[in-house]
Amino acid sequence: MENKILYSVSGIFEDVNKLISAVKTVTDSGYTKFDVHSPYPIHGLPQAMKLKPSKLGWVTLVFGLSGALFAFLFMYWVNVIDYPLIVGGKPFYQLPAYVPVMFEVTVLSAAVFTVAWMLFIMFKFPNNSHPLIDTEYMRKVSVDKYGITIQASDPIFDLTRAKEFLQSLGASEVFEIYFRESNVKPKIFDKKFILFLGITSLIVSGVTYFILNHLLFMSPFNWMHEQFRLNPQSKLTFTKPETTNLTPVEGTVARGFLPYPYTDRPDLAEKNLINPLLPTEKTLKVGKEKYLTFCSPCHGNFGHGDSRLKGQFPNPPTLHSDKLRNMKDGGIYHIITVGQNIMPGYASQISSDERWAIVHYIRVLQRAINPKESDLK
Amino acid sequence: MSMEQTLLQKKSLPDKFKKISFLIFGIGLLTVIISFFVDSHRFAFNYNILFSFLVSIALGNMFLFAIEYLAGAVWSTVFRRINEIFISFVPFVMVIGIVVLLEMHSIFHWTYKDVLENDEIVRGKTPYLNETFFIIRFFVYTLVWTLFAYFMRKNSLKQDTTYDQNLTYRNSKLSAFFIPIFAITITFFAIDYLMSTEPHWFSTIFGVYYFSGTVLSALAILTVVSILLHERSYFDKILKPDHFYNLGALLFAFVNFWAYIAFSQFLLIWYANLPEETFWMIHRWENGWEIFSFILIFGHFLIPYFALLSQQAKSNLNRLKIVSIWLLIMHYVDIYWLTMPSGFKQLVFGWIELGFIVFCVGIIMILFYYRYERMKNIIPVGDPKLKRSLEFKL
Amino acid sequence: MRVIDYTIEPPVVEGNPSLSSINESIIKPLESKPTRGWYIAISISLTMLLIGAISLGVTLWKGVGVWGVNQPVGWGFDIVNFVFWVGIGHAGTLISAILFLLRQRWRTSIARFAEAMTIFAVMCAGLFPLIHTGRPWLDGYLLPYPNQHALWVNFTSPLLWDVFAVSTYFTVSLVFWYIGLIPDLATLRDRTTNKILKTIYSILSLGWRHSGRHWQHYEMAYLILAGFATPLVLSVHTIVSFDFAVSIMPGWHTTIFPPYFVAGAVFSGFAMVQNVLIIIRKVFRIEHIITLDTLEKMNKVMLATGMMVGYAYAMEFFIAWYSGNPIEQFVFLNRALGPYAWAYWTMVTCNVLFPQLFWFRKFRRSIPVMFIVAVFVNVGMWFERFVIVVTTLSRDYLPSSWGMYIPSIYDIGILIGSFGLFFTLIFLFIRTLPVVSIAEVKAVLNSSQPSHGGNH
Repeated sequence: MENKILYSVSGIFEDVNKLISAVKTVTDSGYTKFDVHSPYPIHGLPQAMKLKPSKLGWVTLVFGLSGALFAFLFMYWVNVIDYPLIVGGKPFYQLPAYVPVMFEVTVLSAAVFTVAWMLFIMFKFPNNSHPLIDTEYMRKVSVDKYGITIQASDPIFDLTRAKEFLQSLGASEVFEIYFRESNVKPKIFDKKFILFLGITSLIVSGVTYFILNHLLFMSPFNWMHEQFRLNPQSKLTFTKPETTNLTPVEGTVARGFLPYPYTDRPDLAEKNLINPLLPTEKTLKVGKEKYLTFCSPCHGNFGHGDSRLKGQFPNPPTLHSDKLRNMKDGGIYHIITVGQNIMPGYASQISSDERWAIVHYIRVLQRAINPKESDLK
Repeated sequence: MSMEQTLLQKKSLPDKFKKISFLIFGIGLLTVIISFFVDSHRFAFNYNILFSFLVSIALGNMFLFAIEYLAGAVWSTVFRRINEIFISFVPFVMVIGIVVLLEMHSIFHWTYKDVLENDEIVRGKTPYLNETFFIIRFFVYTLVWTLFAYFMRKNSLKQDTTYDQNLTYRNSKLSAFFIPIFAITITFFAIDYLMSTEPHWFSTIFGVYYFSGTVLSALAILTVVSILLHERSYFDKILKPDHFYNLGALLFAFVNFWAYIAFSQFLLIWYANLPEETFWMIHRWENGWEIFSFILIFGHFLIPYFALLSQQAKSNLNRLKIVSIWLLIMHYVDIYWLTMPSGFKQLVFGWIELGFIVFCVGIIMILFYYRYERMKNIIPVGDPKLKRSLEFKL
Repeated sequence: MRVIDYTIEPPVVEGNPSLSSINESIIKPLESKPTRGWYIAISISLTMLLIGAISLGVTLWKGVGVWGVNQPVGWGFDIVNFVFWVGIGHAGTLISAILFLLRQRWRTSIARFAEAMTIFAVMCAGLFPLIHTGRPWLDGYLLPYPNQHALWVNFTSPLLWDVFAVSTYFTVSLVFWYIGLIPDLATLRDRTTNKILKTIYSILSLGWRHSGRHWQHYEMAYLILAGFATPLVLSVHTIVSFDFAVSIMPGWHTTIFPPYFVAGAVFSGFAMVQNVLIIIRKVFRIEHIITLDTLEKMNKVMLATGMMVGYAYAMEFFIAWYSGNPIEQFVFLNRALGPYAWAYWTMVTCNVLFPQLFWFRKFRRSIPVMFIVAVFVNVGMWFERFVIVVTTLSRDYLPSSWGMYIPSIYDIGILIGSFGLFFTLIFLFIRTLPVVSIAEVKAVLNSSQPSHGGNH
């Protein structure tokens, strides 16, 4: 208690009319650092205290207009410069459609900044260590009394004179209010507070990390990796089959898709299958086109096994080997259909007739490289 | 009582006012008559605008009057006699409106036989848009408005001598009935006289749009007349800045309201982009009419908005006076913009239009002069709310 | 004939109580133990909340497929509830901001509560657009931030305007509410002896000390906020109406939608405020602060807004006929006579017919009547949104694509849950914070202002 520093002398008033006349007297006596406390705003008090009109409106104006401008420029930049996209046949720059967002941003910016400016810049809140807080005086003025506080830092302040002055104005009680010792030193650097900040930040960052990297990838937060959907002709798994007519009857054969019986029996295929097509010009044209599309990337344009893929896969053998030249059409057809070694089957990409046409075209290539004697004549 | 005693003494308007009024009226009437022989089509359209504008002023004041009673507003009681002067315009305005009925064929092309034969959409509207029903509606509006105007004023004037509080109660009831009827009649009035000049076009908000302008113009004329009388100390200095602040704030509010309604209507039509609606807007955006569209955006919204934004401006009498006159002109322009392009492909604006504005001012001044002179006083001295109204503080 | 004395201003608070008794009657309920009634009430609302939580859980786990929405009605209860709840919120801002600007002093006793209701209602409303996206954990994409897809939101879409409007509305309402609470929190801080409560109140009141120099700016800030909240509240429901009206769907695209939605919002909001206030003033025994006169005035506002809504219904019908557009005409006939006619006539009865009772003073001042009418208005306004959303979608241009909408139990569960959330928050609010603004009510007491202005 030895370092008690006086903050103010404060008097309690019971009646609002008395308060107003007292405030006028205080103002007229030349005090400048004084304040009035009341449980609710009193009309005419700012005039009695000779306060200048609040300038808060300017803050609102500045932040409101900058909000509008920012919103406009941002939308313009997005819609016209950064990512122009036609939506609904409207031009990129479409002022009427910007108005709603501009309006909302204006209001948001104006309202939030006005209040923040008032609380944090004008009032310097939060300020729970103010000497007036938690005093008998404050407890009274927050219910039904009115108070005038003359600060000790006022240039014409004098303790006894101020007390008598307030009493003479009709104050029912007069308090001396002192700074509490703890007010003087800011609490921000307390160890406890720093520890609190540290723990909070640790928890917040840990939780954020967990949510963003783990929680959001657990069920039910699916990211469409797995979906309930039907592939064409696939079996229904999530509804009863009798409720739909999607599942085909057992043993159904689609038109144009005869089952291939020789999958595991290349020998039988070679023996039994006969090329149904004649090597007409039309057939060869189809065969050439399909060969160039599907076979040439590995086998080369002329069947030498000189892959265009430059060794990304092992090169296939040449088509001009004796083995292949002597192989029957059915054998080659089988290889195209089912595949061999690392060559996949092409049944799904190339129709049956086209495969036979390719076989014809391979025969043409073979005869071109190793012509029969009759051809040379 | 002393204040009320002095207020009973109403000052007369100077003779000069009467002379000027007649001069303006005369010039206006002359131009209007000449214009009829020069271009009767344009004359008819302008006359329709003039009529709608006068209805705005009279009806808007009836609305303000009713709202005062319904809301139990105190501050506006001192202005109520001015309201009543404009309310008493109603029968005269409706008489002026008869010319529109006579000139119907020049204004509304849904009255043309060949249009009805060739245009299926317009033909579909004949149960509503036909001459007989149109004339019936005119007389229904006249009857309803005149009756309400008569009884509202009667109760209010009677109170000057009887000081009977029940009259206030009776007027409150009357106002409560008036508001829904007002809403319906003014909507159909707007559809009849303004929207149906372009019978293909339709907009559900149209009645509200016209209403917003109506109230705004009524407030504006109330403000400007009150300020002019106040400045010439007709009010004996009983009006304080706080009273005018309220008028300013309401003007500001209705400037915003008008903009809100106008923008809503525009945005919805623009965004949906349906040809059956957009043609109306597009027409007002080409062939010179875009000048008036721009005048409305700036003059009817942005300029008065910023002029009235600050708190001081709302009780600054000079500014209020200028903004009010400006807004009255803007309401006239608004009605002009609504109807004129329906009749004329290219922008028309010239001596005929100006002549009609002069004529309009003349009519208002003359009517004001005579109605004012008939009033016994300038404030409702018997109104129980008067004392509170005089003491009104923000 | 009833005689009213117009020469005096009717007092806002009955019985001319002293300043300290205002403190007592408003703060007392916060300091006493909750009554049995409160426990029963909150258990009911928590049960409702639980039903909602389960329904929502199922929705999130399985997807929005469990709802009744499908082609062609892709907007069902989710959007109906969203519009309904946003509307409920509007009354709060209307009371706190518009009536403040109009200097209607009777608003002071109900403003705090109405503002709180706004915040809770907007919370309920905000839930629905977030969950109706189907994968709410991706809702972050609604915000315009530079994301890894290098994509921006579509600023010209009314659905995005909604994001801005509702979030702005929520923020500004919260700020407005909090600003009003600061002096009261300081009063609570000065009053309480409980150490934990004192710390909480101290933190929340930021060190407010009822200073005259602060009051001056505070009142200015309040005025500015009210000035912004007023157009804001119009804009929010306007933008909600744009969700429908900028489209070319018959029955949705009509220019009266913005003011019509706003009027409807105020209408339903007042009904909700009315319902809850009637209970609260009874339970808290603050009938002298939230007076019958105040309730009567609210009924008048309901009558007026109800008629505005009725005007809009009528205008829509008239212009649909007047437009000569057969599709537009069909939609309105379909509303009144089609498969959802029951919903339409429920709406008309509840919104237009029942409020007409308020023409009579006897009904305006009868608590049971106004309670029942307010319930009907809430039901009617919910159906209004249902009619707008569902009838238009279920039968649009192509008869081949017509279909009916039948809500599933999860739809209904989430609707119940939103009511649960709303009432749970309200019940918690009335136990923790003063339901009536102490400072504002004190300021409108008869003897609390200087008798002769002071400045002249």
